[in-house]
Amino acid sequence: MARKPSDYQSDIWNDWCPGCGDFGIVAAMYRAFSELDLPPEKTVIVSGIGCSGKTPHFVKVNGVHTLHGRAIPFATGIKLANPELTVIVNGGDGDLLGIGVGHFVALGRRNIDLTIILHNNTVYGLTKGQASPTLRRGLRPKALPKPNIQDAVNPVSLALASGFTFVARGYSMMTEHLKELIKEAIQHKGAALIDVLQPCVTYDNIHTVEYYKKRVYKLEDTGWNPKVEKIEEKEEKIVKAWMKSQEYDDKIPIGVFYQDPHTPSFEERIKERIPSYLETPPARQKIEREGKTIIDSEAFRKIFSYYIVETE
Amino acid sequence: MLNRLSIIIGGPQGAGLETSAQILTYSLAYLRYGVISDREYFSNIKGRHSYVHFNISSEQIPTSLTYPVQLIAALDHETVFTHFDSLEEGGVITYDVFTEEKTLDTTPSMEEDLKIRLRKIFKELGIDGSIKSLVRYISEDKKIHSVPLNYSEIINEAAKKLVLPASQAARYVSSIIIGAVSGLTNVKKKAIEYSLARRFYDRPELAQQNKVIVETVYDKVVREHGPILELAPSKLNHREMMIVSGNDIVAMAKTVGGVRFQSYYPITPAADESFTIESYEKLEVDGLEIGSILVLQTEDEIAAITSAIGAALTGARASTSTSGPGFSLMVEGLGWAGMNEAPVVITYYQRGGPSTGLPTRGSQSDLLFTLYASHGEFPRIVLASGDHLEAFYDAIEAFNLAERYQTPVIHLLDKFLANSIVTLPVPDLSNINIDRGLIIHNGGADYKRFNLSTTISPRAFIGSNCIMWYTGDEHNELGHIDEDPENREKMYRKRMEKIKIADEEIPEEKRLTYYGPEDADVLLVGWGFVKGVALDALKTLAVKGIRTAYLHIRMFSPFPSKSVEKLLERFDKSKVITVEHNYLAQAGKAILINTGVRITKEVVKYTGRPIYLNELVDGVLKILKGEDRVVLTYGP
Repeated sequence: MARKPSDYQSDIWNDWCPGCGDFGIVAAMYRAFSELDLPPEKTVIVSGIGCSGKTPHFVKVNGVHTLHGRAIPFATGIKLANPELTVIVNGGDGDLLGIGVGHFVALGRRNIDLTIILHNNTVYGLTKGQASPTLRRGLRPKALPKPNIQDAVNPVSLALASGFTFVARGYSMMTEHLKELIKEAIQHKGAALIDVLQPCVTYDNIHTVEYYKKRVYKLEDTGWNPKVEKIEEKEEKIVKAWMKSQEYDDKIPIGVFYQDPHTPSFEERIKERIPSYLETPPARQKIEREGKTIIDSEAFRKIFSYYIVETE
Repeated sequence: MLNRLSIIIGGPQGAGLETSAQILTYSLAYLRYGVISDREYFSNIKGRHSYVHFNISSEQIPTSLTYPVQLIAALDHETVFTHFDSLEEGGVITYDVFTEEKTLDTTPSMEEDLKIRLRKIFKELGIDGSIKSLVRYISEDKKIHSVPLNYSEIINEAAKKLVLPASQAARYVSSIIIGAVSGLTNVKKKAIEYSLARRFYDRPELAQQNKVIVETVYDKVVREHGPILELAPSKLNHREMMIVSGNDIVAMAKTVGGVRFQSYYPITPAADESFTIESYEKLEVDGLEIGSILVLQTEDEIAAITSAIGAALTGARASTSTSGPGFSLMVEGLGWAGMNEAPVVITYYQRGGPSTGLPTRGSQSDLLFTLYASHGEFPRIVLASGDHLEAFYDAIEAFNLAERYQTPVIHLLDKFLANSIVTLPVPDLSNINIDRGLIIHNGGADYKRFNLSTTISPRAFIGSNCIMWYTGDEHNELGHIDEDPENREKMYRKRMEKIKIADEEIPEEKRLTYYGPEDADVLLVGWGFVKGVALDALKTLAVKGIRTAYLHIRMFSPFPSKSVEKLLERFDKSKVITVEHNYLAQAGKAILINTGVRITKEVVKYTGRPIYLNELVDGVLKILKGEDRVVLTYGP
């Protein structure tokens, strides 16, 4: 019997502010997980710090609530050690694009089969509303003493530049649409980003539900084809997607910007070198025999013969 | 004939000195000599002065380095300038006659400080400062035997013989060193030939070309000078010898110990370990794969430790290797592992700090840092290895301890060990156990990762049949955030008490070793790379009538407090001396913290060069004459 969305709901009382955009993200995840019928014990949500960092506690799958900015490398270790797991990172804009942006870029370079759900609300909520890396210059959400004088990073543009092979944007108030994006991202074999616009009802009086309602439109409604059908199209498609990502003022596109199913995932690259990798990844290897090492003296001499000199 | 020989071979970085050292070591090992060698180099790829300092013995496997040396083989003039003073009276120097006119002014790669010191010396000696004047001076005044060789002539001759362009033959200039050293010490040609074939197994033409140069020089040296420093035939009777650096032996140990995920960010002097593991990523015996290791080069050390922790949560034995600057970045991750009872191993090769410090030189200045790194309180295990063999067993034990006590383990090593190459019998693997600790494979629906009914909770792997939560926040038994004061007290105590259990379970005799006579008068206390030189110092001091013992500390957390306290009680306080490669005498501080016993005598060195036997003996003698602290500085 397929799992229902409520089967993924944990018993923990959700302490996000009433009306927080994050509720939409979690609701979309419950539904996406249910429709994909993800086994909870083979699914892992990894998060960093901040409001989004609490996400794993609200979901009844494995949860790893890590350090500020470090969700991606924790997830990298989990996924590479056991690639049969479905690993989903939930992180804020400050977390993934401020303190942790190096890991974000590195993930693109590797194209590991991870799904990154970016809770993008332009502020650091849990520390009371400071400017996040996605807040544009000149804006002053209500907690800021002065307008922001740093430029914003565009998550979609950066993901494209870094090598992510699935790049999408969702809106937390459109959970049906977001749910579909999450499903697609999870099913995509490679690094997937979903930049989720998520109003912070407490500290962001600019990017409100009203604000997004006026601007957001679906890419798929315009006949947008994100998919690199043949590898030869990659350059053209990525340039188009990047151009599209720059559209961010009067109109904000949501949906899948770009999808490249051709670039090999990191797991496939490892398999090239270690053919047994997917069958016996690091987490599933036996490393002892009745408490003894599997490399005995004879095996040791054979493996490390390069270092052993037989004397005269 | 000599039973013991110290040699320095020197030249610019990138000129093939490492290969020369490797060939010589293979050859010596093939002839069953015991060898230890230390490589000293700048943070530089090409051009700055580097040297390898050997200690060779026909009677034992030497454990320390010492001065003066009997032979200097110089690839360039900077080597002559830098090391001439280290030669024993009656020793030998080989150098390139082409450099005879060189002076300090024509040695731009040399640091100004040394030039200033040398100019002063040359002035006092009344020499003009050319290589020629210097060699003449040491030949006459210190009875040094000089063996001048014409490097370009040798290369040109070899080029002719090999029908190679001279420019290509010049790439084998380091083989001149091999020829000179082996000729002068009477290391058989057969051994050199064996070693070249081994080194260039995949490119036999290189072995052949180098062999021609080696033999040309070998014959010339023997013809013109004779084997002045002939080594006595070895009395050792090993049928096989391993030749390994500290990095190599730790890589091998991790492989044996079952590491399946190793992450790293490039840093000296740790990175070679990860490269070695990666070379063996597919563990194959007779064509059958018996395992594989994933080595991941990360974007920084933060990702290195956090990805290793992630891998550990899924059940893979996971580790990362680094040095001081990298560990500084790992500290927050270390705390997360402590909070979440995650078994991760950090192999930590200390180098000179603070900051970038002396990036290619040795140090033991991070002991206190590793004992207390990261905010908050959590248990950790800190091991420190004194030599290659200890490093081998400790690197395996580190994983056992990490899993048994579900806590991060820091395995402390240093640059001295990382880069020193030794001959070593193949370690005995029969007594090695793999202890994975308390693991539960069917946690089921009610599984609680931090179950409070036992101090060490059964650990299920992510990906087994249950779900679990981890968080850096204080948490309840399920792993959910929990700030309740009663839960906080229980969970906090559960974590901290694990170190008490470790302290009870790990025999103290495994955490320290006492060497020397039971009724010794003097006690040296040390850790890490000090072990080798301290053990040799015991023998030298015994010959001088000073009964000395050495207390070697191998585990600093949990600290073997009872044994250390009891041992120290037996000695006159004025005769207990800590010997360390740092300024503060940090092990002494750790002893004070753990036992309340203050050691007031210290011999320390923080120049980045290893403690040499000669200076340690002198240092101990000074302490016994009443000094409280001796700072050692020998070695260029």
